[in-house]
Amino acid sequence: MSASLHLPWMEITPTAVHDKARQHANEEALAALVEQYAPTLYRVAFSVLRNAADAEDAVQEAFLRVLRHRDSLEEIRDHRVWLIRIVWNIVLDRKRRAKTRPETDDVSELARVLPASGLSAEESAAAAQHHTRVLGLVDTLPAKEREVLVLSAFEELSSVEIASVLGITESSVRSRLFRARNLMAELLERPRSLR
Amino acid sequence: MKPQKQNGNMGPGDTVDETLRVIANLPAPEGLADRVQVRLRKAPRSTRILFWPPAFAPGIMGYGHALRGAAAAAIVCVVVGGGWRIYSHVQPGPSARVILMPAPASPPRGFSTAGSMHTPDPRPVILHQIAPQPSQPGPKQANPEEKSRSTKPTTGRRKLAAPSSHKAGVNP
Repeated sequence: MSASLHLPWMEITPTAVHDKARQHANEEALAALVEQYAPTLYRVAFSVLRNAADAEDAVQEAFLRVLRHRDSLEEIRDHRVWLIRIVWNIVLDRKRRAKTRPETDDVSELARVLPASGLSAEESAAAAQHHTRVLGLVDTLPAKEREVLVLSAFEELSSVEIASVLGITESSVRSRLFRARNLMAELLERPRSLR
Repeated sequence: MKPQKQNGNMGPGDTVDETLRVIANLPAPEGLADRVQVRLRKAPRSTRILFWPPAFAPGIMGYGHALRGAAAAAIVCVVVGGGWRIYSHVQPGPSARVILMPAPASPPRGFSTAGSMHTPDPRPVILHQIAPQPSQPGPKQANPEEKSRSTKPTTGRRKLAAPSSHKAGVNP
């Protein structure tokens, strides 16, 4: 009935389709990364910052950085290690900037976030106190040893991946971990009065 | 990384590992991924400084690249044309005149007189030696006629002659 007007400039070129499709694919890939790795990144951030709000903020900042490089997502070989490295740098930077603040050794804050499965209130409080003490000692370690020790607690990270996150060799990871454990053993065995 | 001991006697290293593992295995808060997604959607899509309207975006209808090229060429033409116009209108000015200033005289050696005050010499300056004159008789009795004549206004002729007679040391 109605003759459709068809002009050459009305055609949608294959380039436009390709760009649209690629942009859509990038957005989908980013959404999938968020779904998959946001909890891991949060735990990495919390292990350093020990504050829920700060950790979540760090995760959001990490994904905002990823958003800027979403066009090159296909070039990344291991997204998990890449993302952990991004959030690791963010939290270290934040920790450095917040050096003036007192160290987070609030027992009640830790007791709030710790899982209390099958523990009484007293036991939970005692566990929180113990963990707070250990974490306080971890904070006294040299930065290199402390970083390796904190990352080694993540079971999903191998020593090769830790080396990749920190930008060092695997042998360095092992030696630093060894030193960190020895230092922690000394600190824990030493009576509190001598510390 | 290390298997946790099942019995209650844990060494210091195990204590540290246990604590760090508890922290590392804390569950993420509910809805974390959704909140991150929302924030990503709110974030600006493009970090470019110059944002092209969709009609000029490359790929749309195949004219985007051509339009961008034309716009860039127009900008270049305007800049070059403006520069040429300014260049062609500016006349080279006359060469700057060089004024030769006399070299300052070298200051006198020794003590300078700068800052000193000039005070006039109170002694009279004698320009000509006054010849000694013979003693004159005492003053005569002034003639009343002459007195009255001296008070009269002098004529112009006399006026002219008077100064020469008053000169010191001049004896006609």
